[in-house]
Amino acid sequence: MNTSVTTLDLATSRALAEDLLTPWAQGAAVSDPLLLPIERFLRLEARLLDQERYRDWYGLLADDLFYWMPLRENRRRRTKGREITPDHMAFFDERKADIDIRLQRLESGMAWIEDPPTRHVYAISNVEAFDTAIPGEYEVHSVFTMYRNRSERDESTLMGRRRDVLRRHGDSFKIARRLILLQQSVLLSKNLSVFF
Amino acid sequence: MIDAHSYMNLDEGWIDRRIFWEPEIYARELSRVFARAWLFVAHESQVAQPGNFVTANMGEDAVIVTRAADRSIHVSLNSCPHRGNRICFADSGTTRAFVCNYHGWIFGIDGRLKGMPEEALYTQTPGFSKEDWGLMQARVDTYKGLVFATFDASAPSLGDYLGDFRWYLDAVLDAEEGGTEFLPGVTRSVINCNWKFPADNFVGDIYHALWTHLGGAKPMLGAKGGVKIDNENSYQVSVNGHGWEFGTNMVGNAATMGDRELVRYMKSRSEAIAARLGEFRRDMWGSVASATVFPNFAFLPGYFTFRVFHPKGPTKTELHAWTLVPKNMPDEIKDRFRRGSMRTFSPGGILEMDDGENWEHSTAANAGYVTRQQRLCYALGPRGREIADQPGIVHRGQLSDANQREFYKRWAEFMDAPSWAGIPLAPMTKSQSAAA
Repeated sequence: MNTSVTTLDLATSRALAEDLLTPWAQGAAVSDPLLLPIERFLRLEARLLDQERYRDWYGLLADDLFYWMPLRENRRRRTKGREITPDHMAFFDERKADIDIRLQRLESGMAWIEDPPTRHVYAISNVEAFDTAIPGEYEVHSVFTMYRNRSERDESTLMGRRRDVLRRHGDSFKIARRLILLQQSVLLSKNLSVFF
Repeated sequence: MIDAHSYMNLDEGWIDRRIFWEPEIYARELSRVFARAWLFVAHESQVAQPGNFVTANMGEDAVIVTRAADRSIHVSLNSCPHRGNRICFADSGTTRAFVCNYHGWIFGIDGRLKGMPEEALYTQTPGFSKEDWGLMQARVDTYKGLVFATFDASAPSLGDYLGDFRWYLDAVLDAEEGGTEFLPGVTRSVINCNWKFPADNFVGDIYHALWTHLGGAKPMLGAKGGVKIDNENSYQVSVNGHGWEFGTNMVGNAATMGDRELVRYMKSRSEAIAARLGEFRRDMWGSVASATVFPNFAFLPGYFTFRVFHPKGPTKTELHAWTLVPKNMPDEIKDRFRRGSMRTFSPGGILEMDDGENWEHSTAANAGYVTRQQRLCYALGPRGREIADQPGIVHRGQLSDANQREFYKRWAEFMDAPSWAGIPLAPMTKSQSAAA
C-alpha cells in the first residue's frame, strides 16, 4: 500500500459535513460583479470534466477539500431525525487525497470500462451565491445535469443540486467543500465513474 | 418443460448461456428458487426496537421487516390484501401501524389487519373475518444477527439450509464479542445484468480480480504490483450451493481500501480473534475473499460489504449493499470501514465500478440467437483436490470455478425439484458455536 487516504480526522470531517447541512442562503446574496466570475468558474469546471481534463480539474480543489455525496432515503415526513447525516453510508465522502486515488485509477490505463472513453456533458444552472461568515468564502448553489453515453446505447442522465463553499484564490476560486444531492434513492445507473 | 440439469455439464465444465436470458427460465427462478430459499432480508440492528421497520425484497416480492412489541421479527408481504396496493413506501422508520393509501386499511407491525374505514360494514358482512386478511407472513429466522425469511412452509430450518456454512460465516459474524451491526444507510443501484452473474462472481471468482480490477488496485497496491493470489495457500469451500473463496492472509482484502490504520487495527485484533475462532478462521477475517449465500446474498470479508442481488427481470438486477461491523469496534474504526468500503465497493468505488459493465455485456450478448447457443466455460480448476478434514466441499486453490460449478448444481436442483422434498441437504459435521 503506497497511499494513505485520510487527511481529515473524524471530528473535523463531521463538522464540515454539518456545516454543509446548515440552512441554505443565510448570508447576503453576492453582488452581480462577483456572481459573474463565480458562474464563469463553474462553467470552466464543467468544461474540464467534459473534456476529461481531470488533473486540471483537480487543481481547482482546495487542499482541505471536503467532497460529499450522501445517499438519499425514502422516509415518511413525520419520521424523526434527518434524512442525511454524516455517519451514514454515502456515494462519495472524500478528501483531496481520495480524489487523487480515483484519478490514479483513470490514469493507470487499466480502467477498462473507460476505454473507449465515456462521453460526458455537464450543464450547470440555477447558480446563486451568498456571503459567508468568512471573507473570501462564498456559499454557492447550482443545479447540474450530467449526461453520459458510452459504447452504443449505454446512457444515463443524473441531475442534482450542489452546495459549494468556494474560496477566493487570486483571480479565481478553489472548491473547499461540496455537497452533492442526487435526486435518486436507487441509483438508476451501474456506476458513478464520474465526478460532480 | 424446463430441464435445468440439461443446461449444464459440470464434469465437462460448461453452462448453457440461455439460463442468463430466457424469460421462461427467469419466471421459474422466481417460483422455484426465490419463493423457496431462505433469503436475507435485514440485519437485526436495522430493526433493533419494537416498531422499527425496513422494507426489503424476496425475489420480486416486496416485503416489510418489522420488530413487534413482543420483540419478535415479522416479515410481511408489502401488499394490501384488499386491492393489492403497496402498503409501505418508506425505506425504514418507526411506526405503530401501516395504513394502505388506497382505502385506509390498517395493519399492525405484526402484519395483522387491525381495522379499516367504515369497519361496521365489514363486521356485518357474512363470512368476513379480519383474521383472514392480514399481510401475508413469511417464516423468519436469524443467524448471528442476519435475518432470513422464506415463503415456503415446507422449507427446512434456516440452520439446516445454511448447514456447515455457518462454521465459516462465523469468521465474519462472530469474530468479535458482542455481535455485529450494519452501519446506517443502504447503497442501491441498478445493473442491467442477469442476477446470477454477480452471484456467481462472488461465490467463487477471484480470477477476474487479476484483470478487471488492475486499474483500481494500482493506486492502492501499486508498489506491490496489483492483486496477488497465493493459489497454493488458498481455498474454495461450498456447502449447499453457498460458497466462499478465500486466501489466508487475514488482511488481503482490507489492504486494498488504502487505509493503513485499518490494517493496523485488524492486525491488533489477530490474537483475540484466533483465540475465539482458531487460526484458520482468523485468517479468513479480512483476506482476499468473496462469498455468496445461495441464491443472491453476498459479502466481501475485509471490506465487510454485505449485499443482495435482487432479480428485476431476466436482464436487470438491483444491488442493495450495507457495511457490517462488530458492535464493539471503536467508532473511529467503524467510520474508517464506512469510508473504506464506500471507496472500494460502492457504485463509485474504485473496485466495484469496474464490475457492472462486465456483467451487463455478459448478459446483453445473449440477445444474439447464435451467441446464446454457445456454451460458457466453467472448466477452471483441477478436480479431485478436495480436502477432507474441513466442513463442506473444500478445494485447495482460490483460482478455480469449483464453487461456481457447485452454485449452478444447486440452482439446477432447485429448478428441477417439484418441492423441497426433492432438494438434498449436505450432512452437518460441525456443532454451532464460536469455538474452533
